[in-house]
Amino acid sequence: MTDQELVPGFTDLAETMGAQVISVSGPEAVAAKLVEVLRPLGSKVALTACSLIRETGLEAALTQAGFLVEKDGAEFARQADIGIVEADYGIAETGTLVTDATDLKRRLASMLPLTCAVLLPAERIRANLAEVVEAYLASGPWPGYLALVTGPSRTADIERSLTIGVHGPERLLIILVGSDDCGGQ
Amino acid sequence: MASKEFRERIKKALGNASLRGALERFADSYVVAREQVYAGRDFQALRERIAAIKADAANRYGELADEFARAVEARGGKVFRAQDPASAREYIYQVAREHGVTDVVKSKSFASEEIHLNEYLEERGIHPHETDLAEWILQLMPGERPSHMVMPAIHLPKEEVARVFSRYLGEPVKPDIAQMVRIARRELRKKFLSAGMGISGANIAVAETGTIVICTNEGNARLTTTVPPVHVAIVGYEKLVPRMQDVVPILEALPRSGTAQPATSYVTMITGPVPAWLGDREGPKELHVVLLDNGRTAMAADPIFKEALQCIRCASCTNVCPVFQLVSGQVYGYIYSGGIGSILTSFFNSLEDAADPQSLCLGCRRCAEVCPANINIPDLILKLREKVVAKQGLPATYRIVLHGVVAKPKLMHGLLRTAARLQGPVTHGQPFIRHLPLFFSPLAHGRSLPAIARQPLRDRAKQLERPVENPRLRAAFYSGCVIDFAYPEIGEAVYQVLGREGVEVVFPQGQACCGAPATYSGDRETAVKLAKINIAALEAAQAEVVVTACPTCAVALKEDFPKLLAGNLAWEKRAQALAAKVKDFTQLVSELTAQAGRILSAPAAAGGPTPASPAACREPIRVTYHDSCHFKRHLGLDQVARQVLRDQPGVELVEMKESDRCCGFGGSYSIKYPEISLPILERKLKNIMDSGAQVVATDCPGCVLQLRGGLDQRHSPLQVKHTAEILAARLGANPKDRT
Ligand code: SF4
Ligand code: SF4
Repeated sequence: MTDQELVPGFTDLAETMGAQVISVSGPEAVAAKLVEVLRPLGSKVALTACSLIRETGLEAALTQAGFLVEKDGAEFARQADIGIVEADYGIAETGTLVTDATDLKRRLASMLPLTCAVLLPAERIRANLAEVVEAYLASGPWPGYLALVTGPSRTADIERSLTIGVHGPERLLIILVGSDDCGGQ
Repeated sequence: MASKEFRERIKKALGNASLRGALERFADSYVVAREQVYAGRDFQALRERIAAIKADAANRYGELADEFARAVEARGGKVFRAQDPASAREYIYQVAREHGVTDVVKSKSFASEEIHLNEYLEERGIHPHETDLAEWILQLMPGERPSHMVMPAIHLPKEEVARVFSRYLGEPVKPDIAQMVRIARRELRKKFLSAGMGISGANIAVAETGTIVICTNEGNARLTTTVPPVHVAIVGYEKLVPRMQDVVPILEALPRSGTAQPATSYVTMITGPVPAWLGDREGPKELHVVLLDNGRTAMAADPIFKEALQCIRCASCTNVCPVFQLVSGQVYGYIYSGGIGSILTSFFNSLEDAADPQSLCLGCRRCAEVCPANINIPDLILKLREKVVAKQGLPATYRIVLHGVVAKPKLMHGLLRTAARLQGPVTHGQPFIRHLPLFFSPLAHGRSLPAIARQPLRDRAKQLERPVENPRLRAAFYSGCVIDFAYPEIGEAVYQVLGREGVEVVFPQGQACCGAPATYSGDRETAVKLAKINIAALEAAQAEVVVTACPTCAVALKEDFPKLLAGNLAWEKRAQALAAKVKDFTQLVSELTAQAGRILSAPAAAGGPTPASPAACREPIRVTYHDSCHFKRHLGLDQVARQVLRDQPGVELVEMKESDRCCGFGGSYSIKYPEISLPILERKLKNIMDSGAQVVATDCPGCVLQLRGGLDQRHSPLQVKHTAEILAARLGANPKDRT
């Protein structure tokens, strides 16, 4: 896969696997877009402290738009409608998000609510898992909790009928940040 | 012989329409979906890589376990090495007790089932809650067995699940799948948030980093390993791989082979204790890894069976297994089902426990074709069968027949001749003959049996052998018992076609049964005896090639004899020399015609018989081809045979659905398990009849026997022909009206 193919390849696979990919032109466009897409999906948001999330001014925008933003506490993410996290890498071959989720709140925000929104910088998309494994190996000790997520939570345990949203989110939104070739629709 | 309880289980499963329906529908769609998800990938290279990684690991579990433990401990986790189920259970119980745990959430783990952890904890007042949806449903149905390794509740219709949920909630639940999944989410979420401990298995354990890798689609393993303050992972030694990069090919194959998905929804890699909510604050979780042996290191030390440790538990072998599809995991029993399951059971449980499950394999080799760990499952099952026989002895009827008759060719041939004389218009019912494994059992309903030929091929051979001037080749014909005594006309066709090709054919009279019935019954002793008899007989013929028209015989001569005689220096050499000469009939024809640069039915060199009525012989016929298991999967000649047939003027080849699905014969299998053999045959016959062909061609006389018998019972006008017969008829030299 060439670099030009990575973004469309990732988008295609992620959507095939049941995620919704939303492209925005750059970090500055994230907040407005998220406010718009999240509005019908609930009011309580579990927000994690990731660099991109800070950079985009998301907290202020969400609060201003009337969302209840939760950042901490014993009950963190338990009652939230939406969890917002950031991913380290995307894998084009399978439409997978890869995150060092050692931080507890990152995990809870991506596991407990029915909707999970994940910010992914477009330049972090890699062709395959081998490249991603190599990148982590090269960047120091192996993370404590590495999460590979492909599409929403699913089961086919009853009569093999595919049903979305068992224990994890039933809606996975991927906000692809700064991929100009895909435009910012 | 299969135990009574086992046969009861088979009967129950075969009678369970919803189980069979569900498994069949799944298997049908699986085959197509699997192919699509691997499209454009080099599956062979992938599985060789996985096999190499896992085989290397199996050679050094001790070393890898040390490295793994060091890595986990360096991060602050604990590793406990459990020799047996009892010590694993006790360790986990103690951890739970120390923390005052009353409720445990579990994500699916074969290892925990293997050590019967749930029962143990429950008896001690600790409640384990399975959180995988199917496992939870089964947990709510005491006594219900899982039907499949990856989809354990595939057999339950939604109405049944609704009943189970209604009972659990004490309120009516509608059989609406989406609604029931929501109920499961709600109910199990309560468990996740209140449990004091999470127990998981692992799909892979990486020695280099001390990482455990867990795959789930539902996401239950993530919650199990995130929410409670204590995490215990039970990991069999066979999950160990050396390097982090080794997970890549396994994660490429597992979801593709397992459920035909490109990726599992959630792959979780845990390395050491991670932060958790400890009730009042965030702090490091307690992580315990229980490394379970329970027979694994003994298996790794076994030069033959260690191959089975390469298994990544994708269950694709069972998804394609025609027997599994009929009976399901409920019949195999124990934790690991299917063919591979019987092998694992023989080490994790006992040889006795594996005796019945292994006997279900009919040797079609479909599983070996798809196994992403490149495990030769059917061959391992045969080895296991030998072990079972060595320990328990052969069942009495088998012993009498194999040792007393088959191992004594003169006696067997004499009995068959007598039987041929005595038989009336219907052939069944002869006392001796009835028990000859290959030929003759009480009439299995659904299939007629052939009469024993009045004159076996061996007695006709002299008339058939004609001197060929300047022969291109001198061939010894090894006919095998079915052609010799049931279908000598196939043998005659072989003579006709090869004669026409300028091959001088001789029939070594000393040849005996190839030993397949013994080999496939686990009777090594008889197999070795017959190998020697045949080697001596075929050497004496001094031919350049040994030609067979039976793929089971070909496999015996080419592969089994050298293996059976390995270690016996003189005999091994002779076996190898013979193996090198063996050639299947259709393959030989294809090579000879290619050499001559023409197709078979064009006029041959002078001296051949002239077709009596060329027009009649070349009437167009529509032929469909049935792949015999041994012919395709052992000899790899499926395309060669099709090409040879296509080259016949007037032959139109049409493909049936599932042409390479077993016909259910499997030698003596059809006698041992007629109740399983018959539905497999039925499916085959339906595919044949739906193909619209007039003739079904195959290269195996065993398949001819099975298919003719089945079509005959259904009064079908369809003809079953060995490829040799079709070629002979096209030559205009039908054996029936030969000059
Ligand atoms: S060889 Fe055939 S019958 Fe035996 S386990 Fe494999 S698929 Fe099943
Ligand atoms: S034996 Fe092969 S096909 Fe069967 S479960 Fe194991 S890896 Fe999968």
